Parts: sequence; C-alpha cells; structure tokens
Amino acid sequence: MMGVLVSVAVFCIGVYGVLTRRDIVGVLASVEVMLAGAMLALVAIASSADSATGVRPLAESIEAVGLLLLVIAASEAAVGLALLVSVARRRGVTRIDELQEVKG
Amino acid sequence: MTGYVGGLVFGLSGGMVIALAALFGVWWERKVAGRIQMRLGPTEIGPAGVFQALADTIKLLLKEDITPRQADKKLFRVAPFLVFTPIAMSLVVIPFANGWAPLDTSVGMLFYLAVPAVSVIGILIAGFSSGNTYATLGGIRGAAQMISYELPRTLSVLAIAILAGTLAPVEVMARYEWWWFPVSLLGFIVFFISSVAELNRAPFNIPEADSELVAGYFADYSGIRWAIFMMSEYGGIVATSYFGAAIFLGGSQGIGGVLGVLLIFLKAILLITVIIWVGWTFPRFRSDQLLTLAWKVLTPMALVQIVIVGVIIPWL
Amino acid sequence: MSFDGPFMIQLALGVVALLTALAVVAVREITRMAVALGVFLLSVAGLFLFYGASFLAAAEVFVYVGGVLVLMLFAIMLVQRTDAGRAALESRHDIGSASVAIGLFVMLTVALRGVSNRFQGSPAGSSVPELADVLMGSRLVQYEMAGLLLLVALVAVIVIAGGDEQ
Repeated sequence: MMGVLVSVAVFCIGVYGVLTRRDIVGVLASVEVMLAGAMLALVAIASSADSATGVRPLAESIEAVGLLLLVIAASEAAVGLALLVSVARRRGVTRIDELQEVKG
Repeated sequence: MTGYVGGLVFGLSGGMVIALAALFGVWWERKVAGRIQMRLGPTEIGPAGVFQALADTIKLLLKEDITPRQADKKLFRVAPFLVFTPIAMSLVVIPFANGWAPLDTSVGMLFYLAVPAVSVIGILIAGFSSGNTYATLGGIRGAAQMISYELPRTLSVLAIAILAGTLAPVEVMARYEWWWFPVSLLGFIVFFISSVAELNRAPFNIPEADSELVAGYFADYSGIRWAIFMMSEYGGIVATSYFGAAIFLGGSQGIGGVLGVLLIFLKAILLITVIIWVGWTFPRFRSDQLLTLAWKVLTPMALVQIVIVGVIIPWL
Repeated sequence: MSFDGPFMIQLALGVVALLTALAVVAVREITRMAVALGVFLLSVAGLFLFYGASFLAAAEVFVYVGGVLVLMLFAIMLVQRTDAGRAALESRHDIGSASVAIGLFVMLTVALRGVSNRFQGSPAGSSVPELADVLMGSRLVQYEMAGLLLLVALVAVIVIAGGDEQ
C-alpha cells in the first residue's frame, strides 16, 4: 500500500519536474525520477501477496520486466545525454525554450 | 529490536576493522616498497615500525581541516564520505572465513561490483566542489577511468559466476575446484588489472598524477578528510584482494575454522603485495593508453574468457 | 497497519525518496541535483531490496548510480566547460504544472487503490535462479530485444555525440 503511494508520488514529482525544468539536464533527471517511480510501483505490487487468495503475482516475472525497464531507461538516458552534448556543441545553449527553430 | 542494535554494533566494528586494515595497508606498502628499493621502510616506532601508520594518523587528526574559500563548502565536506562509505559497504559481502560472510546474500557478487561504483560520484563531487582546475581535471579523469574499467571487471567475474552457477561468494568458495584456476586464468588477469585501475592505484593513478595534477581530485583536502581518502584507497585494496582471493583463488578451499581464515588471509596478502609491487615498478600510463587497454585489450579478453567457460560447461 | 521495524524502514526509505525527488526537481545547482538524484536512486534501490527484489536493487545501483548519473555529470562537464559545477539550473514554477502533477497524483491513487488494497501481504523475495529461468525462458524474446536496443543505443550515442568533429 505504502509502496504504491510513494511510487505514485515520486512519479508525479517527476512529471512536475519535466513540466517546469528549463534545462535539458533537469528534464532528463526528472524523466529518470518518473521511470524510477514506475518501476517502484511494479515491484511494490509484485512483491506482496494477494490478500484474498495468498498468491503472489509472478514476482520473478515482474522483476524480469523491471530489469528490461532498467535497460530501456539506461539507453534513454544515454541517447538523451548524447543529444544534449550535440545540441550544446552546435547551438551553445541547453535551455529548452531557446531551442525552438522548428516553430514557425 | 536486537537486529537493529546488532546491525549498529556490527557497522561500528566494521568501520574499526577498515581503519585497522588501512593502517596495516599503509605500513605494509611502505615496507614492501622499501624492500623493493633496497631500503628498510619505517623502523622507528614499534617493532619493525608497525605503529608508524598509527602515529601518522594521530598527526593527521591534529592537523587543520582546511576548506578552500572557492569551494562549495557543503559538498566539499561530504565528498570524502561519499567515496569511503560505498567501499566500506562492499566489504560486507566478502567471505572472510569458510562458509561465512558478514552478509551472505544471493546477489553478493553483483553487490560487490555495484556498490563501490557509487564512489565515482564522490570522486566527481570532490573534484568539482574544490573549485580548482587540477582537482576538476582529476575528478573527470577518475570517473572516465572507473567507468571504463567497470565493464571488463564485471565481465571477468561473470566467468566464475557461470562456472559456480551462483552469485553468492560464499557458495562460490564452497564449490571451488582446483581446475577452475587454469580455466579462469584469463579472467583473473583481467580482473586484477582492471581492479588496480578501478582503485586508481599506480600505474593507473592518472586521476591523482602528482607530476601533472598535484594530487588530482583531493588536491585541496587536508587533515582527517585527506586521511579518509587514503583509508578508502587502502580499504579498496583490501576488499579487492579478499574478493579476488575468494572468487578466483578458491579462498579457504573448504577448510573451516582458523586454518581457513588464515588461508584466505594469506591469499589476500599475496594479492595486496602484488598490487603494491606492480605500483612501485611500472611507470604511469597515459590517458589514451589507459582507455585503449580497457576497450581494446581487457574487454575482448574478458569476452574470450566467457566463451571459454561456455564451451567447457557442457563437457562437465 | 502496525508500526513495527519493517514498516519504519519502509517509511524512512519512502520519506527519503520523496524528499530527494523534490530536491532533484527544485534544486538550482547542478552538482547538488546530481547528489540528490544519487541519494534518490539509492533509496529506491533500498525499497527494491525491502520488497525482496534484491537483484533488481543491485542492478539499479550498478546501472543508475554507477553509470547513468556519472554519464550525466560527464555530459554537464562537456557542455559547460568553465565553472561546470556551478551552472544554475533554471525552472519555471507555476500553478498549472503543479495542478497537473497533483491532479495526476489524485487520479493515479484512486485508480491504483483497488490494486494496492488487494496486494497487502508481507514482501517475499525472489531468487536469482528463478529470475534467470524467467529471463532465459518465457521472456527470452524481450531479453534479446533489450540487448538489441542497447546495441542500437550505443551506436546512436557514438553517431550523435561524436559525429561532428571536423
């Protein structure tokens, strides 16, 4: 119960960060917070037994899904940071609201 | 609540053990290095100078704890502990006796590889917060080096994990057989070299290269905080040697009691001595040589090792 | 709900996770943000450990704290060569974003209430061999896909970040 609450709260804090941060690094860090929240929800629910039947819902399987999620999050961070480096080299800025050349 | 009290007592005594191990490590390094260079090393304080390191520590405790004006004060003060704590924590999963480790967990080897990696953050923060270009350069170099060498190190340990069929160091030691040593020799070499690099020891002490960077990421530290950096270095040496002795050299080889403790201790001492020997013999690597070694030599070697083990396993 | 040892550990880890998550979102200095993110990830790993997912906890520390976080600090240094650690992180705090986040929180809590009420037993661990069986057995395809994804990401990173040296 508490694990789920904490994970939802963490996820929403991450959402707030993505919405308010103006620097790419800050946005990436907030996305990491969101992903950690999602993973936490998965593990918190999977770890406890069903109170009606006493059956645990495939804890191993969900841990495996968590590992795959970790892989995805890591590659997301790597590609995001590479983009950050590339953008900063070409434009000299890393603030999102200054990077709007596609806007008409 | 006895579990928590026990944990607290255990943690405090563990800290004491690391401090003692670091003192011993400093003394042993000075002795071994002295012998290599046809000197005697410390001789004055205590028999064969054993208490020299203790005397030095007392001196360091009494020295002024300087914080540079340009430094980010809070981070500067916290950084040594960020380096030390993960290394101290990594000692928890090491089997010091036959069938016993302070924390016998099923993911012990992964724990040992993962937790000391956190100290990279401490090194980076120490380099940054000093507000000093030498220190920042040292921090960046240290992080690049440690990240590069984590890969071959993890892969080399994987070979033993496959042979043993477990990730618990205690179990590995229990299942160890003599022919594992020749089979995993390549992995052991990779593990040893990348561990020396991971510890920022000579000849891989590029982050603290005294002739170029003064002292690298801890150039601005003094007194007790500097001593904590030193303690984490020697704690790391002890942890690595014990881990290598337990995983690759068979540890206590199923011998229980005092004899087993002594056996793994001797193997660890052997590794510690080799680390010191290597450090005082080879000249320092250049940064590009360092990365070439990690990515073009050690990583392929570790992969070959895994293939060797994979080929052998079905024939057992 | 009893206030015994495990509950207090869970509570402490949860509080640390929440506070550091807030710090990651609100702190104005990059090195402090990195430290906060590190502590946040460690506390999440602690919660994983508490829920019995010990392999996932170790992997989280390995990949995130030892890898992604350092990568992040590196990228910051490459981008802002001078005075790298002091660069202020700007953010635009406003009511709209806050209400979106709070609304989402309420929504998700209500949506997950059924699930979290149903699963309330004590946490039980899963073992490494079981996990290996799942990864190498029923989820083999996903496992291989993850490997492929990592390879693609690796190549992409090299192309994106290293490609424009004239």
